[in-house]
Amino acid sequence: MYYLAIAFPNIRRWRVPLTRDQLMLLMAATNEIFLGIDIYLAHSISGTIVPKEWIPIIFGPIAGLLLLVAGLIAIRRRPLATALATIVFLISIAVGLLGAYFHITRAVLPAGPVGERFTVDLLVWAPPILGPLTFSLIGLIGISATWVERPPDSGDLILLWGRHVHFPYSKTRALIFMIGLGSLATVISSVLDHARTNFENPWLWAPTTVGIFGTVVAVGLAAVNIPKRSDVLTFIAAMVMMILVGVLGSYLHIRQNLTSQGIIVGERFLRGAPFLAPLLFADMGSLGLLALFDPSEKVALGS
Amino acid sequence: MKDTQPQSGLRAARLLILGLVVVIVVMGVALIVMAIAGPTSTPEAGQVDALANSPDECVVCHRRTSPGIVEQFGHSSMAAAEVLCKDCHEVKADYPGAVEHEGTFVLRSPTAARCQQCHVAEVAQFNQSRHGLPAYVAFAGAESLSADLLQIYQSIPEAAPDPNRMRNSLYALEGPDVTRFACEVCHNVGLPAIDGSIGQCQKCHLRHEFSLEQVRKPETCNFCHIGPDHPQWEIYHESPHGIAYETGGESWHWQAAPGTLTVSDFPAPTCAICHISAFGTVGTSHDVGDRLTWYLFAPISGRRPSWEDNKIRMQAVCLECHNKEFVDNFYTTADAATEAVNQWVQQSDQMVAPLNDKGLLTSQPFDEPIDFTYFELWHHWGRTAKFGVWMRGPDYTQWHGAYEILSDLAELRQMVDQKLLDAGMGP
Repeated sequence: MYYLAIAFPNIRRWRVPLTRDQLMLLMAATNEIFLGIDIYLAHSISGTIVPKEWIPIIFGPIAGLLLLVAGLIAIRRRPLATALATIVFLISIAVGLLGAYFHITRAVLPAGPVGERFTVDLLVWAPPILGPLTFSLIGLIGISATWVERPPDSGDLILLWGRHVHFPYSKTRALIFMIGLGSLATVISSVLDHARTNFENPWLWAPTTVGIFGTVVAVGLAAVNIPKRSDVLTFIAAMVMMILVGVLGSYLHIRQNLTSQGIIVGERFLRGAPFLAPLLFADMGSLGLLALFDPSEKVALGS
Repeated sequence: MKDTQPQSGLRAARLLILGLVVVIVVMGVALIVMAIAGPTSTPEAGQVDALANSPDECVVCHRRTSPGIVEQFGHSSMAAAEVLCKDCHEVKADYPGAVEHEGTFVLRSPTAARCQQCHVAEVAQFNQSRHGLPAYVAFAGAESLSADLLQIYQSIPEAAPDPNRMRNSLYALEGPDVTRFACEVCHNVGLPAIDGSIGQCQKCHLRHEFSLEQVRKPETCNFCHIGPDHPQWEIYHESPHGIAYETGGESWHWQAAPGTLTVSDFPAPTCAICHISAFGTVGTSHDVGDRLTWYLFAPISGRRPSWEDNKIRMQAVCLECHNKEFVDNFYTTADAATEAVNQWVQQSDQMVAPLNDKGLLTSQPFDEPIDFTYFELWHHWGRTAKFGVWMRGPDYTQWHGAYEILSDLAELRQMVDQKLLDAGMGP
């Protein structure tokens, strides 16, 4: 189902040179690279990066480049590209889960006395427990985009070596649902991060509000079998708001990190408000909008 | 079509309504929780005991034998970052200073080399500072330094005024029974360790909590920077900056993340803000001389190497609150005051010079009143006057500084004349 055309019927006349899945994969590759950079900055705050902290930093850019290579290979040898991308995304899922494990072990004290095993303070001050799951989410979205759904909206995905798997929902609905999960993880991370400042700045409520709205609307749209035009328009509005709040957040974080004379000091950017983090909202919004594109593959992709 | 009916209009907006309802409910619950909880202070990482019921064998054992340090470390940001006791203490059997302990080898007091495993930049900055080898050489001399350490020492700007030559003989005169509780306690901040590293980070970063608040508070610097020879603690409390700290410091953000400090965290500076912390456009440095323009500790203060750059860095801190004209004017007038004190100390040198030339002073240091008067003139009152100028403590510039210098100059003149008279040489 071409969701964007439900909202804007005339859009069927427009042709995008890349398919939705190709655009998704391009976004996934960009995400992997930026995640590597963002995590490098985050892990540099202490002044020391221990060996296990290098895993996502090294993996992110390599994964991004491999995906770009896979994109080029796909023009002539789609199965090989699918295999390569699948491996990268599976590793991405594993890296995300591993990172989440490392972060969660800092946020809970399983051996601690009752009442201290799981506290709000620990959650707030530990490394972002859901942050690493962005790798997993990108992995899931990437795999969904890699595996061709034929016919579109059937839920039948073609895996490697011609194998098929059937899902009860269409790929589009699955993607939108995953965007909902991503929005949820993003808003929780944002709330925990901003809780360090006790939400004293009223601007901090903006990502919380928009994030919750985006999450509910995305999950809601994924749950609807035959969406109405108003449903899709609401989703589009939510995703646009996510993009705006992400860009605004990034601007506010950068402004926060400038000196009073408006000068950029590297140390302030490294240790201050993370200027890339709010862009995760924009990322989810963009992926959400991409999910609405035409799911059919009208562009020739080679054999 | 039913879609055009008002009833289906509501249904058409189902996602919008659902989204808004959830937002309102979640935000409403959040507001209620915040209202019930009341205004809370910002929680801090240190409130959490990261070692609560830790199975780590060091923690388990030391919770019985020395529970205080386990409690401190449990609330430290290092424990929260999964730094273990053994990361700092455990070394190989052949490591210099290693002692056998419960089946492994440890350093009783980890050296700067151990800190350097993680804090590379901080240790490198420290090693180039007055707190490094120059502090140690100022009492122990450079003779005891290895060739490597001597090379490091000679590369440090603070070595230029030659603290090795300037070191006063009181250290030898008083003897180790006294000095280990006196000079050495502070000057060992730059003590070379047996493993070749330099300094004792724990002099400022008290074990085992390594609290940002503790190290940022002036009370920490007070440990050494107090008394007649360098009364920075007293001067700070007299200064407007110190008054702001005394009257409002309890609400400052002592645990704010390093590198992000602004005037909203620290509306007035502490020792750390001016000399170490990143503030304004200047970055963090553990070289405490990195923002200074003069060698104020010297009898006759000279300019530091690259003092113009240092000045820009210090003024970057000042400019967070003061305007450029104010800051420039302050530097011009403070430079003039420093040179005025220099001239008084030069006068004292000129007065004593004939006694040295004619051998009218005893060969033993500090064995006659004139030695003390001459020494106190620059070491106590000269420094105090200069520190009072630069730190805005008028009483220390005036009555504990300039006045005492003038008084000692008069006394010194009388002493010199008397010695010349006694030697039959006349004043």
